[in-house]
Amino acid sequence: MLSVNGLKAKVGETEILKGLDLEVKPGEIHAIMGPNGSGKSTFSHVLSGRDGYEVTGGSVLFEGQDLLDMEPEERAQAGVFLAFQYPVELPGVNNTYFLKAALNSIRKARGESELDAVTFMRLIKEKLKILHLDDSLLKRAVNSGFSGGEKKRNEIFQMALLEPKLAILDETDSGLDIDALRVVADGVNALRSPERSMIVVTHYQRLLDYIEPDHVHVLAKGRIIRSGGKELALELEEKGYGWVLEQEQAA
Amino acid sequence: MSDQAPTGFETWLVAAGSAAGEHEWLDRQRRHAAEQVRELGVPNTKHESWRYTSLKRLLETGFSRVDETRVDDLVPAGIDAYLVPGLDSHRIVMVNGHYSPRLSALGELPPGVRIGALREFLTSDPDALRERLNAVIGPQQPLFSALNTAGSDDGLVVLLERGAILERPIELIHLAVGMEVPRVAQPRHLIALAEGAQAALIERYISLNPELYCTNSVLELALGRDATLYHDRIQMESPQAFHITGLYLDQAANSHYQGVNIGLGGAWARTDIIARFSGEHAQCRLQGLYLAGDQQLMDYHLDVEHAVPNCTSQENFKGILYGKGRAVFDGRVLVARNAQRTDAAMSNKNLMLSEHAEVDTKPQLEIHADDVKCSHGTTVGQIDAEMLFYLRSRGLSASLARRMLCLGFAGEIIESIHHEAVREVVAEQVGARLESAPLD
Ligand SMILES: Nc1ncnc2c1ncn2[C@@H]1O[C@H](COP(=O)(O)OP(=O)(O)OP(=O)(O)O)[C@@H](O)[C@H]1O
Ligand SMILES: [Mg+2]
Repeated sequence: MLSVNGLKAKVGETEILKGLDLEVKPGEIHAIMGPNGSGKSTFSHVLSGRDGYEVTGGSVLFEGQDLLDMEPEERAQAGVFLAFQYPVELPGVNNTYFLKAALNSIRKARGESELDAVTFMRLIKEKLKILHLDDSLLKRAVNSGFSGGEKKRNEIFQMALLEPKLAILDETDSGLDIDALRVVADGVNALRSPERSMIVVTHYQRLLDYIEPDHVHVLAKGRIIRSGGKELALELEEKGYGWVLEQEQAA
Repeated sequence: MSDQAPTGFETWLVAAGSAAGEHEWLDRQRRHAAEQVRELGVPNTKHESWRYTSLKRLLETGFSRVDETRVDDLVPAGIDAYLVPGLDSHRIVMVNGHYSPRLSALGELPPGVRIGALREFLTSDPDALRERLNAVIGPQQPLFSALNTAGSDDGLVVLLERGAILERPIELIHLAVGMEVPRVAQPRHLIALAEGAQAALIERYISLNPELYCTNSVLELALGRDATLYHDRIQMESPQAFHITGLYLDQAANSHYQGVNIGLGGAWARTDIIARFSGEHAQCRLQGLYLAGDQQLMDYHLDVEHAVPNCTSQENFKGILYGKGRAVFDGRVLVARNAQRTDAAMSNKNLMLSEHAEVDTKPQLEIHADDVKCSHGTTVGQIDAEMLFYLRSRGLSASLARRMLCLGFAGEIIESIHHEAVREVVAEQVGARLESAPLD
């Protein structure tokens, strides 16, 4: 589904991704862990097409297509979804209106018809329930004045609505209380399917108790320096990153 | 000083239709205004309030006046296509400045409420107008208001007696029909609410074709003690038109005024709002939203005078500029020496969608009292890149995402429109204009 080969990216003069490799197959969940500032969000942003990064090397193929050559909306329409580490507040932009425009843009790209108002509302309410979100959210401006936890839940709610093929969750767990974490994890698990892949960026093993990954990677200094199964996350939780970094340096 | 009107304005001074000598007091007012026009002459860009605006093209055009007997024929298809869906109003329609009984539908009025055309009032009950016409505006009038006073066509008169409450809104529709030659319409309106009266006014300027013409309208609004007026103003003149409004507001103690000014049309649209508090604890909320694209200048001048203590005013205008659009926001709040505990907040925010657009924004507070809460702020910015990316990452095209952010920016003002049905029309109009706006 996703093949990242030797990806290098700069912000200004600073190289942040320094030859990153990652292979994600349909239905797989990959966890990416790594120290602060190692490039996890940068990687997520480069995958979703945010401005401000210069790709200086490598390639990214998504279902055989050159992802880096696509506009952000084309990537979303092709089935890539990023749950932001810091969801953006959009004052004045009505949530319902936004969700409808997003869903219809994506449906249109898939060759599906636009949903009528009734079907749309039914769908929305169903997805809200999964995330334990209140209907009143629909009348509000997107993320505007939402609490940190509400913003994160709102991201997963959007994901549930848009049903992407590849979801990248950038620290969706940080800022969530214990109950919310479970709700979000349940929401994510409900979306697991043999066709849908996920990249879950997190600092905490706890999330991975709920969302069981197939692979765990350590991203440090712009590269994946270690990959393993879910036991790697436990080992990291216990020992920190020091030993992986040391082994990497020794190698 | 000469006896001649300044070149270009000769035709404006002729009060349409009504024979002189009908009412001596009115003739006097008109003569005085005409004299003032001659004294004032044509302003140039050295005048402070004309710094950003040239009248050259307006003066070169040479507008003629409209023959009132023809106006009904100008709208053969009727008014239906121009109504706001779902809006139930007391409707009065002006066509090129003249009252059209055929297109109007005043409906039944509750006791204590009188609504009608100015010229009808002058015939049927001139005494009701004698003390009121030109009372809010006063004898010293700026050029375009003086032109209107000297040569107004017809207009709306609303008189609410003490305690009268009007449930349905009054809807004043200005239909502009372009003719073979450019013409000027000078509608003149008077709204007077006595103590405790309440009303809502929706004022709409609509053009039937994209012709060149000029509207020079004047409104006098007098709010008595405890009176409330909601005033939605939607300006959708033709893209070639000149639009000029002088809005004069006087607020007695405890009165509330809420005006929302939506400016979408016109090549040059100048709105002057002159508001004065004459009694304490009154509140005035002036809001505005303007869009300006190629060949458009949106020109706002606010002058709010806190002459007495304990009043609150809020001036909040937002603009979206694209293409080579231009806007002027010249806002002034004056707090007199004795106007203690004044609360005034002025804000002007502009969203620039193109680097060729231009805005001159100049909010001023002139404060002579020491115990006040006053603030002002302006911003001129572009669409936020993070917000744009967020929307695009959800599958929205860049142009739809931009439009949505613009509507979000404008939303605060659109939401404050008093009537929901009008809100919807405005949101739709703003969306449509942004959709066809060039993005560069
Ligand atoms: N726009 C930018 N300008 C300058 N430096 C940047 C920019 N974006 C990212 N960086 C730098 O790139 C490095 C990687 O940042 P990134 O946000 O990808 O880290 P991260 O792994 O997501 O960290 P965290 O765990 O704290 O979220 C950091 O050193 C950061 O300061
Ligand atoms: Mg990060």
